[in-house]
Amino acid sequence: MDLGIDPDRLGTCVQCGLCLSSCPTYRVTGDETFSPRGRIALMRQVQLHDAPLTPEVTEAFDTCIQCLGCEPACPSVVPYGHFIESTRAALTEHRGPWKRSVALWPLSKPRLLRIGSTLLAVAQRLRLVPARLGLPQRLPFRRPTHRTSGSDVYLFTGCVMDVWQREVHFATQRVLEAAGFGVTPTGDQAGCCGALHTHAGLLNRGEQLTQQVDAALDPSIPIIVNSAGCGAHLKQHSSHQVFDAQEFLAQHLDRLPEVTPLEMTVAVQDPCHLRHVQRAHLPTRTLLKRFVNTVSELDDDGLCCGAGGAYSILQPKMAQQVRDRKVASITRAAPDVVASANPGCSMHLAAGGVTIEHPMVIVDNALRAG
Amino acid sequence: MTTSDEALLADLRRVLGDRVRADSAERALLRRDASVFEGGSAGPTCLCESTEEVQQVVQIALAHDRAIVPRGAGTGLAGGAIPLGSPVVVSLSRMNRILEVDTEARIAWVEPGVVNLDLTKYLTPLGYHFAPDPSSQQVCTIGGNVGNNSGGPHCLAYGVTNAHILAIEVVLADGGVVTLGGLNAEPAGYDLRGVFVGGEGMLGITTKVAVRITPNPPAVRTLLLSFDTPRDAATTVSAVIAAGIVPAAMEVMDQRITIAVENYVNVGYPRDAGAVLLAEVDGLPDGVEIDAKRIAEIGREHGATDVRQAQSDEERMLLWKGRKTAFGAVAQIAPNYYLHDTVVPRSKLADTLEEVYRIADEYDLAVVNVFHAGDGNLHPLLLFNGQEPGIYDRVHAAGAKIVEASLAAGGVLSGEHGIGVEKQPYMHQMFSDDDLDHQERLRHAFDPACRSNPGKVIPVGHSCADIQSLRATPEGVWG
Repeated sequence: MDLGIDPDRLGTCVQCGLCLSSCPTYRVTGDETFSPRGRIALMRQVQLHDAPLTPEVTEAFDTCIQCLGCEPACPSVVPYGHFIESTRAALTEHRGPWKRSVALWPLSKPRLLRIGSTLLAVAQRLRLVPARLGLPQRLPFRRPTHRTSGSDVYLFTGCVMDVWQREVHFATQRVLEAAGFGVTPTGDQAGCCGALHTHAGLLNRGEQLTQQVDAALDPSIPIIVNSAGCGAHLKQHSSHQVFDAQEFLAQHLDRLPEVTPLEMTVAVQDPCHLRHVQRAHLPTRTLLKRFVNTVSELDDDGLCCGAGGAYSILQPKMAQQVRDRKVASITRAAPDVVASANPGCSMHLAAGGVTIEHPMVIVDNALRAG
Repeated sequence: MTTSDEALLADLRRVLGDRVRADSAERALLRRDASVFEGGSAGPTCLCESTEEVQQVVQIALAHDRAIVPRGAGTGLAGGAIPLGSPVVVSLSRMNRILEVDTEARIAWVEPGVVNLDLTKYLTPLGYHFAPDPSSQQVCTIGGNVGNNSGGPHCLAYGVTNAHILAIEVVLADGGVVTLGGLNAEPAGYDLRGVFVGGEGMLGITTKVAVRITPNPPAVRTLLLSFDTPRDAATTVSAVIAAGIVPAAMEVMDQRITIAVENYVNVGYPRDAGAVLLAEVDGLPDGVEIDAKRIAEIGREHGATDVRQAQSDEERMLLWKGRKTAFGAVAQIAPNYYLHDTVVPRSKLADTLEEVYRIADEYDLAVVNVFHAGDGNLHPLLLFNGQEPGIYDRVHAAGAKIVEASLAAGGVLSGEHGIGVEKQPYMHQMFSDDDLDHQERLRHAFDPACRSNPGKVIPVGHSCADIQSLRATPEGVWG
């Protein structure tokens, strides 16, 4: 079966195995099938040697979290992310793309998403939502509306995050304003960026949504994104200037007021799409060090937490094993709070009992405490 | 699947449940390690979690008349972990716990699946590390290090794996469990631990290891010397040792590989130098200053065009990251590689290197050299595209010539990667029939029926009767 991968690029893996330790699913299983080297070998067999798509082979592809921790570990710079994205697209096509399209359809309908979320919040209060779904503990009934304070930067508000974690957007906006930037929240004019669609193998739909975002916004104004997954996708697919929120603010640290750092130890959990895709995880530390007493590192070399967009819902068993490893590392670091700049990671880790905040919320707290 | 396979699987699943894998995907993947060789079909793969499980798997395999092959991370470069025939694969990657660390006695007990670098990272805050540092240390396992008696850049000063292993718990091929060696400085009796280290899985399966842990040096200096030619770099290395300095590490890379690693790490490796020498000294601060200065002087006397000292730990780590990922970086040049691991006397290093370049030219193959210069341990990598018709014949022939040249220079077959299936055909060039008979007898003392990792190391004619059907370096392993 053609997975749509350029055969020459597929040949660039020499199977040295240096990626193994950077792969969360290999780390928890110890099984070659769940490693980047194994998955690439299977892609070769399927695409170049017409090997059958057995349940084990599709499982190997489906269980990849697409954290891309293997890419920085690869000395031959094999574009694994491109391989798995293409493989996922071919699999989705093979299985009938309509299922995933239906599941992700509400993301591009902001009003529907808000109504659905409010219904979910009611169901949650009535204890009708199982905890294992990993939703935020108390979904909000109502959300205060966005306000525009200027047009120096856009604050990209997105889809699910705007419904479930709008307070993070407010915090980010306050911090940007404290640095003297006038902020326009994108709101409904530019909804979903298409990251989850691309992740699920719906490449065309993902591209289409990104183009809608681009078309709705003024290309001369930089877009600030506080969700690492969306930021990674927009940096790769949008034609506008895109910055991660911490990355942008770390460049303008001198514009933020001097305040007393908060008395707390913050451990940084790097969202994979910030660390491995955007490669912009260090600014989070630069920024936090100004606003809290102690910033500590986890001892797992930035291994994925298992959230992976919709992964934690589609592959709950593997997601939980990967999370257990992350939680053990957090426990060893014993911080007061963990900072994570991605809504998916923070929900997944919170469901695992971790006290977690977006770095922007921590900085905002420090600024407000003065 | 044959009936006997089904019965075997049923027995294995009774012990391990869904940690037995026998699907076609898994079987196909485990035919390979990090070498170019492809084995037969991996039999059921057993992801064991304890000594008892390994023991039960070995007993079940024995009852079903099947051989066993231990496997760690599968980063071996000589085909040591590939299955020949259809053996039961005993995967140790899940046995990855650090069991006990005693800093006073400087000993750590670990399971075989612990990743080499994970152990060092665990020990770092305690002020210690595990000294053998194979270039694949970020993924390779301690069990694999024991099996291959692995070396690494810093083994120049600290010694290879054997010097850092005190005791090994082993599941023998008959299912018995023994502990070889001990924590005493001078254990009684023959040094069976020393026999087992480097046994390439043919003497049994490692299930627990007591390793020596080494205090971190108080000071470290890392130098990067640039040269016009690999010869200048090689003669510098000999001169440094001759001057009585034993650096912690001395590594040479030629121009092509230096460019490839610089593309990856971006630390400022010179792209225009014919070769670079990465030299590291460690110890007390005053001593390392003197040694570093002296090495720089010797380098300049032997043609170094530039000498640079790493200014920070970060820079030092990046320089090493470049060196240690060199093999993996070659896909930037060609999609397949075949490397040798011969060792020659240091004084013959420069001549042998030139011979290696000449041989590659003769066979019209690309070659890069990256090697543990301080030990005289060459790693010529022949680079090629496996899709090219007839290429494997040329690669194989050039490889044979490189081995021949190294042995003629008074060298040996393998420095650290092991023999596996790769160097098996060359064993006759190195050892007499008598030598090989004795090696075989030693193997029989541990595994009389040759059930543990059969068909490796000892060439045809010296192997056990029951695996005569498996030709040494069997048909088809070459691509």
